[in-house]
Amino acid sequence: MRILDLAYILALGGGLGLGTAHWAVAGRPAIGRVEVGAWTAWPGSGSRDVDPYMRAYLARGVHLPLGSGEGLELIADRDDAGQPLDGRCRYKLSGTTPTTRGWTIGVTDSDGLPFSLPLERTSFTDSEIVRPEDGGLAIIAAATPEAGNWLPLPASGRFQIRLRLYDTPISSQTGETRATNLPRITRVDCR
Amino acid sequence: MSAVSHDPPQRHPSAFAGWRPRLRAGLARFAMTTLAGLILAAIVHIVTVLAIPALSRHDAAHAYRALGTEGHAEPIPLPGNAGGLPALREADPNVVTAICSYDLSAGPIRIVARTGTLPLGLTLHRQGGGVLYAITDRAAIRGTLEFLVMTEAQRDERIAADDEGETSRELRVVSDAEQGLIVARVLMRLPSDRADAEALATGVACGAAN
Repeated sequence: MRILDLAYILALGGGLGLGTAHWAVAGRPAIGRVEVGAWTAWPGSGSRDVDPYMRAYLARGVHLPLGSGEGLELIADRDDAGQPLDGRCRYKLSGTTPTTRGWTIGVTDSDGLPFSLPLERTSFTDSEIVRPEDGGLAIIAAATPEAGNWLPLPASGRFQIRLRLYDTPISSQTGETRATNLPRITRVDCR
Repeated sequence: MSAVSHDPPQRHPSAFAGWRPRLRAGLARFAMTTLAGLILAAIVHIVTVLAIPALSRHDAAHAYRALGTEGHAEPIPLPGNAGGLPALREADPNVVTAICSYDLSAGPIRIVARTGTLPLGLTLHRQGGGVLYAITDRAAIRGTLEFLVMTEAQRDERIAADDEGETSRELRVVSDAEQGLIVARVLMRLPSDRADAEALATGVACGAAN
């Protein structure tokens, strides 16, 4: 009976311990996450004292996160209303971006890879977009062609919008940033 | 209600004899072994998460160890390259990335980057995770970014060798790991900036400091 007890303890401890560790570092961890509006960032991932879960997540693949003083990556997989981003819908990105040397905004799958679409336009930089009279941001993300700054989407399925800010002061104070300082993601309509 | 009415029934003493204490002991034993298993699971979880960065052979520091050992930064491999090196995950398609791998066992490394019109960032990624240092071209002096990477012992040696009463003007960055990557990232504002961005990123020199 004692061997059975020991085997049960080892199986439970080993299985549950390894299983939860794998689950915890399979994706970006909940620890260190900062949410501003629809955007999520992990500002600690580019610092010297990156938390152990993020460190383990980054070590499991070929990742080189932006350094804290270098820039900040913000990821959105939901719109401002909290609904998941879906390729069957049209989205409008509007508003402002924080002070930066330069930014890029792009569409990726949930692994951060660009989609292979017929049109090779996966992202915009701040120099590439056409701005309206008020100087703001006006990008339409849709699967079908749109006038203006059109960011093509896959015909269906989930996707992410990634905003990368280079040389920005908000990378050290992401938690205090207000949602109004970041682009808004509004669903226009769906097919 | 008297205490007598709560006495256990006496009608079938043979059917219950020894059954309840055995069940109770079995449950207690199950609870104790489960508790021990959960404590072991917590320990295994913590040890595993802490050990992954040290044990991983698939991280960027291992994958790109051979890049940039010739004295200047080399661009990261594209997906499906001839060398079989893995591509960078979650990379920005508008950024040119070049890498200098460093090994401080032979001595400190000097990094020199010329700046241009495109935004340039240099980061120091230690093996095992963590960005030790990040600097952008806004900190450049007369169009040049220059710093030294060294271990703590090498820095102490250098401070001891400094001239008495004189302040050294070189920027010294201490790396607590002997191996790591120096990553140069240049943002392409327009697709036509690619050649300039590649020239800036691969122009980063990383040689032994004298």
